[in-house]
Formats: sequence, C-alpha cells, structure tokens
Amino acid sequence: MAGSPDHLFNLRNNFYLGSYQAAINNSDLPNLSPDDAVERDCLVYRSYIAFGSYQLVINEIDSSAATPLQAVKLLALYLSNPHDKESTISSLKEWLADPAIGNNLILRLIAGIIFTHEEDYNEALKHTNAGGTMELHALNVQIFIKMHRSDYAERQLRVMQQIDEDHTLTQLANAWLNLAVGGSKIQEAYLIFQDFSEKYPMTGLILNGKAVCCMHMGNFDEAETLLLEALNKDTGCKGS
Amino acid sequence: MLTKFETKSNRVKGLSFHTKRPWILASLHSGVIQLWDYRMGTLIDRFDEHDGPVRGVHFHMSQPLFVSGGDDYKIKVWNYKLHRCLFTLLGHLDYIRTVQFHHEHPWIVSASDDQTIRIWNWQSRTCISVLTGHNHYVMCASFHPKEDLVVSASLDQTVRVWDIGSLKKKTASPADDILRLSHMNTDLFGGADAVVKYVLEGHDRGVNWATFHPTLPLIVSGADDRQVKLWRMNDTKAWEVDTLRGHVNNVSCVMFHAKQDIIVSNSEDKSIRVWDVTKRTGLQTFRREHDRFWILAVHPEMNILAAGHDSGMIVFKLERERPAFAVSGDSLFYAKDRFIRNFDFPTQREAQVIPIRRPGSTSLNQSPRTLSYSPTENAVLICSDVDGGSYELYVIPKDSFGRGDGSLEARKGVGSSAIFVARNRFAVLDKGNNQVLVKNLKNEVVKKSGLPVPTDAIFYAGTGSLLCRSEDRVVIFDLQQWLVLGDLQTPFVKYVVWSNDMESVALLSKHSIIITNKKLVHKCTLHETIRVKSGAWDENGVFIYTTLNHIKYCLPNGDSGIIRTLEIPIYITKVSGHTIFCLDRDGKNKSVVIDATEYIFKLSLLRKRYDHVMNMIRNSQLCGEAMIAYLQQKGFPEVALHFVKDEKTRFNLALESGNIQIAVASAKEIDDKDHWYRLGVEALRQGNAAIVEYAYQRTKNFERLSFLYLINGNLEKLSKMLKIAEVKNDVMGQFHNALYLGDIQERVKILENAGHLPLAYITASVHGLQDVAERLAAELGDDVPPLPVDKNPSLLIPPTPVMCGGDWPLLRVMKGIFDGGFDGGRGAVDEEEEGAEGDWGEDLDVVDGLRIGDVSAILEDGEVAEENEEGGWDLEDLELPAEVETPKVSGNGRSSIFVAPTPGMPVSQIWIQRSSLAAEHVAAGNFDTAMCLLSRQLGIRNFAPLKSMFLDLYTGSHSYLHALTSAPVVPLAVERGWSESAAPNVRCPPALVFNFSQLDDKLKAGYKATTAGKFTEALRLFLSILHTVPLIVVESGKEVDEVKELIIIAKEYVLGLQMELKRREMKDNPVRQQELAAYFTHCNLQLPHLRLALLNAMTICYKAKNLATAGNFARRLLETNPTNENQAKTARQVLQAAERKMTDASQLNYDFRNPFVTCEATYVPIYRGQKDVSCPYCTARFVPSQDGQLCAVCDIAVVGADASGLLCSPSQIRNQIR
Repeated sequence: MAGSPDHLFNLRNNFYLGSYQAAINNSDLPNLSPDDAVERDCLVYRSYIAFGSYQLVINEIDSSAATPLQAVKLLALYLSNPHDKESTISSLKEWLADPAIGNNLILRLIAGIIFTHEEDYNEALKHTNAGGTMELHALNVQIFIKMHRSDYAERQLRVMQQIDEDHTLTQLANAWLNLAVGGSKIQEAYLIFQDFSEKYPMTGLILNGKAVCCMHMGNFDEAETLLLEALNKDTGCKGS
Repeated sequence: MLTKFETKSNRVKGLSFHTKRPWILASLHSGVIQLWDYRMGTLIDRFDEHDGPVRGVHFHMSQPLFVSGGDDYKIKVWNYKLHRCLFTLLGHLDYIRTVQFHHEHPWIVSASDDQTIRIWNWQSRTCISVLTGHNHYVMCASFHPKEDLVVSASLDQTVRVWDIGSLKKKTASPADDILRLSHMNTDLFGGADAVVKYVLEGHDRGVNWATFHPTLPLIVSGADDRQVKLWRMNDTKAWEVDTLRGHVNNVSCVMFHAKQDIIVSNSEDKSIRVWDVTKRTGLQTFRREHDRFWILAVHPEMNILAAGHDSGMIVFKLERERPAFAVSGDSLFYAKDRFIRNFDFPTQREAQVIPIRRPGSTSLNQSPRTLSYSPTENAVLICSDVDGGSYELYVIPKDSFGRGDGSLEARKGVGSSAIFVARNRFAVLDKGNNQVLVKNLKNEVVKKSGLPVPTDAIFYAGTGSLLCRSEDRVVIFDLQQWLVLGDLQTPFVKYVVWSNDMESVALLSKHSIIITNKKLVHKCTLHETIRVKSGAWDENGVFIYTTLNHIKYCLPNGDSGIIRTLEIPIYITKVSGHTIFCLDRDGKNKSVVIDATEYIFKLSLLRKRYDHVMNMIRNSQLCGEAMIAYLQQKGFPEVALHFVKDEKTRFNLALESGNIQIAVASAKEIDDKDHWYRLGVEALRQGNAAIVEYAYQRTKNFERLSFLYLINGNLEKLSKMLKIAEVKNDVMGQFHNALYLGDIQERVKILENAGHLPLAYITASVHGLQDVAERLAAELGDDVPPLPVDKNPSLLIPPTPVMCGGDWPLLRVMKGIFDGGFDGGRGAVDEEEEGAEGDWGEDLDVVDGLRIGDVSAILEDGEVAEENEEGGWDLEDLELPAEVETPKVSGNGRSSIFVAPTPGMPVSQIWIQRSSLAAEHVAAGNFDTAMCLLSRQLGIRNFAPLKSMFLDLYTGSHSYLHALTSAPVVPLAVERGWSESAAPNVRCPPALVFNFSQLDDKLKAGYKATTAGKFTEALRLFLSILHTVPLIVVESGKEVDEVKELIIIAKEYVLGLQMELKRREMKDNPVRQQELAAYFTHCNLQLPHLRLALLNAMTICYKAKNLATAGNFARRLLETNPTNENQAKTARQVLQAAERKMTDASQLNYDFRNPFVTCEATYVPIYRGQKDVSCPYCTARFVPSQDGQLCAVCDIAVVGADASGLLCSPSQIRNQIR
C-alpha cells in the first residue's frame, strides 16, 4: 500500500460516494500516466451518466476512443434510450465475444451493470464473477443481494476485505450486505455510513444510506430529516 | 528521570526542599547558599556569610528559618524573610557535615568532623547535648521523623542509632537548658541524655550517609565500600537486611522516596541509582558525564527529588504523574493504578471499568502514558514505555462495564505511540522505519504507510488522519490519500487538544501553546514562563488551560489571562460551562468551578455580541484597572465607561469615546480647571458650542469665551461680555469685545477713559465721529496727532453674522447599544389571545347558517401518515430455505464454467408465507392474496377506496438503496420491531405505515371537527378510519377489542353525519328534515355531540311547530345536564312551550318510545323485531332490501355477505391455531 501517492484516490472516492459534481470538477489532475488518464476519463463520463447527461457522453466519445470509454458510451446509450435496448445489448454481446477486448475490466463492469438492469443476473454474473477490480467485486455483491443470496454476497465481500478492508467500496459493500441481512447488522451499516459522513462531504448517496438504516431501525423521524437533507443537496444522483 | 530544573554553579554539597513553597536551598562548596524557586526557575536569594564550603543546610518545617553548617565550624540560623543570619552557634571543633531541625522541638542536630554530634536548642541558642562515640568524622546525623532517635554515619565504618528520649524529658522546661549547660561538660563522656542504642556494623569502609525510613523501622546507608545497605530495627535490636551493589565508587548519599517503595542513591561514580525496597533490585541508573554526585534531597510531600553534583544541581521526578486519559462525549476514561476507570461528567460518578495488566516494576515510568478510546467499539488503547514503547488494546465487554472484575486478555504490540484513527482502526507508529501500521481490532495489520516527516509521536487528527510530530514541526497526514493536509513549524509539541467540533486544535508544548485550525493554519501562539500542563476547549471556543500553578484562558484572537491560581497541578479533562473537570496527580477526579465572567465578557466583545456584554455589565462586578486598560486598548472605551466609578478615569474615557454628556457630568464632579479646559477642547472639536461655552464660563476664560461668541455670531452675549469686562475693569477685554462688536463709540470711550486720548481722537475721526473728534481735539489742544496722510482708511467693522448658531449640526449617529442600554426597558407583556373556537350551536341560527361542504369531496383522498409500528412478531423463525449449493468455480478469469446461484427467497415472500393478515400481504406487494383475505374476512368487495392505502403500505415497507453508480437500486424490505440485539438473517414482519395510534389521533380530530361543525371534514375523517382499519395490525387481544370498538364508533358517526348532511340538502322537505334530525339523536355519539344533535333536532322541530317532539328532545337534552347554560335555558323554554301545547303539527316517522336502529342506506328506523341485514365489516344495519348492496357507511363491504370477521393481530391467529 505504501508507495507513490494515488492520484486518482479522491476522484474515485468522490465517484463511489456519489459526489459526481466534485468528481467532475476535480478531474483536472496533472502528470497522469496514460492508463490513469483513461480511468480518469471513464470516471468523469460515468459521473455525467450518473447526472443523466447521456447525450453529452455519447457525443464526446468518438469511435477512436479506447475500449473502456467505448464501454462507457455503451452504458450511456443503453440508459438514454429505454425503448431501444436491443441494439445496444446486441453490440455489447458482440464486444464481449471479441477475445481482444472481451476481457476488458470496464467493459465487463458495464456489461454487469446493463445485464443487472435487464434483471438477467446469470448473464451479468457471467461477466463479473471473476472480479478484477474492486468495482466488479462490489457489483457482484450487489447482484447477489438483489438475488437474495446474502451468503454469496458475504463470500464476495470477504474477497474484497482481503484485498483492502478499508477501501471505500469494501466499506460500502459491507454496508449493503449488512442492510440486506438486517437485524443487529443494520447498526453496523449505519456506523459505516456515519464514518463516511464524518470523513467526506455529505452526499445524497451517504444520506440515503443513513436514512435507509434509520428506517430499518424504526427511526423514521431521523430518516425523514436525512432524506430531506438529501433532497436539498439535489446532487442529482438518480434513483436514490 | 524527568528533569524539572537544573542549575549551574560551584559544587553543591547540601540541599533542602521547602515543605510548602516550590523552593530549594543549595549550599555550595564556595560558601554561598542559594535559594531557588525551582518551578519558576529563578534565584530568589543568596546568603554568603560562611567562610569556606557549606556542607549542610536545612529548612525549618514551619518557621521562615533555615540552618546551615560549614567548614568554618559555624552553624548559622537564618531568617529568609529578613534575608539575614539571625545567630551563629559555636561549639564544633572541626568541619560541620550536616545540620537538621527537629520536626517539633526547637532543636538542631549537627554532625562534625570533630567526631561528635551535637544537639542545639535554637531558641535558647545553646548546645544541649553532645553525642560522642564515633571515632572518626561523623558524616551525617539526622532525627527520626517521629521517634526520639537520631541516626548517624561515620567514617569509622559504623552507623549508630541514638536514643534521645531522656533529653526530651529533661528539656521539658526551657529554663533547664541554662542550668544544664554547667553540668553538661561533666558528663561529656557517658552523658545519659543521649545514649547509643544500636551500632550497625557491616560496611567495610567509611559510611557517608544513613537515614531513617519515613514510616517503617528501616535505615538505609551508603558508604565508601560502594555499597548501599538496608537495615531493620525493632525495640531491642537492629540488623542488616540486604546490600545493594552496583555503584562503582563511593556512595555519597542515599534516601528513601517519600511516596514510593524506592531507594535513591547517588555516588561519586557520577550516577544516581534507583532501587526497589521490597525486591532489593536496581530499577534504573542515571549517569552524568563529568559530575560526581554529592547530595540528595527528597521532597517531604511531593513526588520530587534533587541531587547536587560537581557543577550544580538538578531537581527531578522519577515518574510521570500525569494520568493517561481520554474524553469521549460525556465520559472520561483514565488509567489509575491497575484499572481503567470511567467518570461520567453529568452525574460525576466514577466506576472501575476493566483491570489492566501492570508491568512488574522492573523499571520506572512504565505506567500508561496515553490512552485512546473508540466509543463505538468500546475499545481502549493504552500506550506505555514498556519494552521501549508498546501498546495494549482492550475491548471492554458490554456487561462488565461498571463491574470491573474478571481479567481481560489484551492484544499487545510494539510501537512508540498508538491511537485510534477510525471506529475500528488504530495506527501504530513504527519509529524505526518511520511508518505507521494501521491495524484492526484483532491487532492485524491492514495497511502500512510511510510517513512524510521523521515522526516520533502520532496524535489523533480526525477520522483517517494523523497528526505527526517531529522535532520542530507537526504535520497532518491523511492515511488514505497519502497526503499532507497541513504543516506547521512548532516547538516540540507534547499534547494535542482538539476542539469539540474538530475545527481548531491546540498544540501544547513545554512553554507555549499554539492554536491552529484543522489544517494547521496558525491562529495564535502563547508563551508561558511556567510549564503548560493541560487544556480543554469550552463550548464557546475558548481554550482553557493549566500551567503548573494557574488556570488560564486563551481567546480565539490570542488574548489570554489568568482565571485562578492552583495549589497543585491539575490536568483538565473537560470544560463544561463554569465547571472545569480535571484529574489530579493521584488520579482523582475533581471539578473546579471558575468565574468565567472575564473571558466570556472579552469573548462577547470580540464577537461583537454587545447584548451579552450589556447583560454582563449589568449583572456582574467586572471592575478593575486591568479590565479598563483592556477595554481601552481594544478600542472599547465606551464600554469601560460603564464600569468606572472614579470620576477622573471616567472623564478620560468619556473624552476618548467622545461621550460629551458623561464628560460634562464628570467634569462637574471633578470641577477643576484643567478638566474644564480639556472638556472645552473636545467640545469645540465636536462643535458643541453650548458645552464649550459652559466649559469656558466655568473656568472664567473670558477671552476664549468672547472669541467663541464672535465666531458663533452671538452678538448679544458678546455685548454682555463687554459689560462684564467693564465691571471687572478689564480695559483690554473691554476693548477686544468692543472691537469684536464693531462698536466704535464704545472703543473711543474706552480709549478715552483709559487716557489714550490721541488714539481715541484718531479712532473717532477716522470713523467719522466728528463731534467726538472735535471734543477730543479740544481736550488734546496742541497735541492733536496728525492723521495719516495718503492712506484710505477703511472702517474696522466685523462681518455681520449670517446666522447666530449654537451647536454645529452633527451627523445623526445610530444610537449605540451602550447608549441608554442601562435603562433596561421592559417590553410590554403581550396579552394572550384566547383561542376561541366557534362552538357548534352557541345560538340557534349558527347551526342553520352553516355552509354545507361539497359532499363529493368527502370521499376523496384518505389520509396517509407515517407509521412506526411497535411490537414483535412471535412466530417461530423460519430459516431461509436451504438451497442446493452450487460450487462456485473461481479462477480462470471469466469462464463459462461459472454457474450463477439460483435466486434466493425475497423477504416479501417470507412475509406472505407466514401471515394471514391482509396488511402484511399488501406490504409484501401481494395485492391479490390480500384482497382475497379481506373479502373472506370482512366481505369487502369494493377495493377502490383502499387502493391508495394499498400503495402506501407497499411503498412504506420497502426502502431503496442506491448502491453502485448507474447500477439499479437495491430494494430492501423494512421490518418492524427492530432491536439492537436482533439476529441477522432472521426476518421480522413488515413495517406498516398505518398504526392504531394514528387512528386514535384521527378519531380525536374527527370529534373536534364534529364539535366545530365541520361535518364534511369530520365525515371524511371517520370514513378514512373505517377504510384504514382493515389494514391495521395490532399486537394484543386487548388492542383487537379496541379496534373493533373503533369501527363501531366510526360507523355511528358516519351514519349520523351522513344523515345530517342529507338533512341540509332537503330544505324543501321539513318533515324529512325533522326525521333525519331526530334519527341523528339516536346515533351513539359523545355526550357533547349528543347534546348538540338534540339541540339541533329540538330547534328544527320547534320551528316546524312539532312541539311535542321538540319537548321530548328538550327533556332529553336536560337529562344530559348540559354544561352550557344557554342550551339549558333554551331547552327549558322549549319544554315550557311544549307543555302548554302538547301537539305536533306534522306526522313524523319517528317514535322515540320504541327502540330502533336506523337503516343506514334509506335512513328509516328499523324498530326492534323488524327484519334487517347488516354489513359484515362495519356492522351497520339495513333494511332487507339492501341485501347484496355495497354498504352505504363503509363503502367497501357488501351488505349481508359471509365473512369470518376482522383479523388484525397475530395474537388472534395464535388463538385460532390453538
């Protein structure tokens, strides 16, 4: 872990925690390696997608862009046009079948996200189960939770914890799982979100997480306060 | 060893601590005796009268005296207050080695190279005993702290214990001393008053020092054989206990520690050694490079020692006395003895939390040094110097809190400091590699991170961050980003105190305090001459800190001051209002109440909270030169003005703040010329002419006054001045005033009167006063001066004033908060308005005048409210159905071998399986089964009114978690009856948004609306109750009955209100109106409502001339004993009218003598015995023709349908199963 400073740390963190505007605003980082630059672009475009600015993403990524960016564009296409998913999905499948790019981490992640939207969890897991990035693992956790298989989700979480227990996504995934299994774990989930809110600027995502915990603990008044605060933030994180 | 103070001087041979004050005497080889304040580090006095080295010195316990003995054979007794030697005791015949006062008798014991020990009475200034027996130099002699014993050490290799009991008896009266002197010499050899009790032999060389234990019968000695020996004695004998070997040269002095079981010895081998008394092992050794040690001193009460060496002395402590503590919210955790203890600030209660292992005393300073606490995990991290810096982690079990028994296994590790950096993470400093290890509560390393600066200690700096201290700076380092967030050059920081909001931090070093913000941006620095000990932030952002002897404050702008002085050092743990909580050196919690007025006042000024300032001025005594000076210096003279009583200061402040009124008032009080003058100057500057005039008048400064009138154009006053000058015979003044006034005749007259005839003549002629000029010329005769030729004289006439002004116009200034602030105007008390609510039928017309609401609106929107259903669900826990585990193949990247698991069972499905309560099925989203249930149980067929509630219930039982960005949200089932101890993966029934208490509230609202005559609103409320009840879940059987009761109440009201509303639609049918009003009175209503219904029906019938019926209503109304006198009065009047004429104008379908229920659809009475059908849900009754129709009351159930009855509680289900 010790070594050179992680230039993209803040950007990633902002993205994971839902402060998309901050991610976009602070993306101008000097001295990035080419790989880092691509990752940075992915995160920025995905932040725009989170805002719902699909068209911007579709317009800005041209055909000469790197595979990960193409994958991001695919996601934007998929989300922007709910009525014509078929063509997007077929080109996605085509790409996945291509051995040259089919194993690209971002492409697999996007595939996972799209198939999860399609509620085709088997297909999604086919591409994500092997992991490779923390995000892929986190997506696995999420899919297992959606499948009501917390046992699998827990196993996946353990893999994440072995990689980096303090990683933001590990913590988040831990909170999701805690919420899914319920009982005394709800409080642990609350503490995780609480930690985030102490460490980082409040985001809609964190507030939503806290509010959900409060609701599950029967503390609806606090949940309401938190949700109102989240509404006021209006960070544009859709779906929360 | 913790050095507290050090001096450089000639060789120090004698030392003595003062019992109360922080003073130490050092006698030097050069003959000088120094008196030091070791706390302040200053030389208080020096006494230089001995000739040659002074080897012994000693403070008196209570008197301002000390004694010294030197190589000049003299014993001198000094008074340090008078700074002089009082007298000298002569008698010894050689160097004097030690001198000591007795703790209660007026005695001094001295040891000398003349082989004797002498005891002196310093009051009679005589030698009262000579103790002989040693046959070499006596190196030391001292009294026993309690008993009548003296111990001495000599180069004759012995230690002797002397019994001086008989001496005490003999000297009962001081007069004896003189008598004794004569025969003392006679028994010089074999004197009986002081006899050798024991001779302790064992040292192989000369003994340099021997001393008693303060409480135990022990003696310790040190000798040139390099050994320290421990001796024990009883009434009859004394024997050697043990020998402590280790010094490599002559042991010069040895002492018992006053508070610990420790022996301290020093030696010419340049070392001080510390020994354990019980184990007789060496604990620690401190060496000096070049200086041999000669003498030791132990403070009789405090934990402090001193040692004299070749080039000065050191004052030191062996162990840190600061208890390790951590504050968390309202509680304090601290280490005391072998325990972690907890102190609750609000209740001030202490409790033992857990025992901690205490290292064996193999060396000193092993007690906990710092303590860090994680409240969520209830874990304590203790750092100590054991093994060169190590930590122990204890997780406090929940149940043992407060009991403190049972031993806990600590997780340990090596590291010079360790602190919690997050809820369940702590950082350990690995100094060797300059990195921190982040560990979890299992003591496993989860992360390693190098540090940006060479760090020798880490402190907390918010979650995930560290404050790293190096020699000359501190940095805040973010562990995750690997980023330095702040950096500041500082002196060596010892402690770090964060404010409660984590926005500010105080960095305490030995002699300074630096306050910065959370990014280490410097705000202010304070320097202290005395050591800074501790600090805490108060609620207002003031930093309260302690030095060795003061409690002080530091405002955000860096202003500081003393709050109070301290007797003993304390360690502040928390500041709460005016109370300071602290720990003392014994680990006891104390609270000190302070007067916070001064700093709160200053803070209020600083924050411009003048309202607070005013309040404080009004309510407290804040006077004092210091405060005035502060206010002046800070630019608040107008505030200072309010404190000051002294008129001169007041005057000065008033001038400074430009407050002329107060200045005038003060000037009047003072009434001296200088002040009037200064007032005049200031008033002139401000243009306040009236005051200037007044000031000049008071000082009789006529010239200035005249000039003032001139420039103000006040000619009237000016001519008065002229008269005054005339009266005063002031020719010059007269002339000036005349000049100012332009009064030529007067000027001529003045000149003439003054004898200046030529001038008068010229003036007159120039100004064309020819007759006067001629008269004067005549008088002058020949001496008529020639008028200037070739010059055009012009008249000297002052300009006429444009306007005669008083004060200069001043800018209108906003009245300051301080002006008139003392008036303390009290606002008028607002009169409370009575919340008068329109009564239902105060007078008859009101009822009729009520508007009929839009009936169609009644049935709209059922109310939705948040719900928080309590209560458990006691069905046996169903585990998730076991799935066939499909082995998950990992590796090989993304391969087609992977088989996804089959989806598990959603929580909502578990709910359905377990429940036959409609509400829970709705919550699970299974509307069809829910509808089946409702239909079966309550005969409900019309679900339209329930639709919105179905949706609310479903939505309310699910929450949605926004997880990974752009991935679909995760729905989560919300369960009710959550508790902290609930096991995970065990499902509780769904949380429902509707609960019984909401209905109760609705019922009350319905009653209120009915009372207020808002029938439409009331009807809506009661209907919504009826519509919600099918979806209610309650816990106990008793509550089930309440629910059923509620249905009936709601039904009755719905019926009544529907009839009443119907009645109002039928204005053209008086008979039907009367009937409906009459039926309304037979609904089961609350008494006030019944009265109103009766009043209503009575009025209608009376108006329709149905007097008999009206009379009946009146009677019934009176039977209810109406509280409203108007109602009763009206009823009596109606009753009287009815009794006069017992007839009805029209025939009604209403027989009040015959019991009936009202058909709720057709509104006709169903008398007892007639056939009817009823609604299976709300139990409303109908005429048989309504069978199969939708119930007109509840609007959801079908009349006459088969139904099993309301099921609204799991308890009912349990009963059914039984």
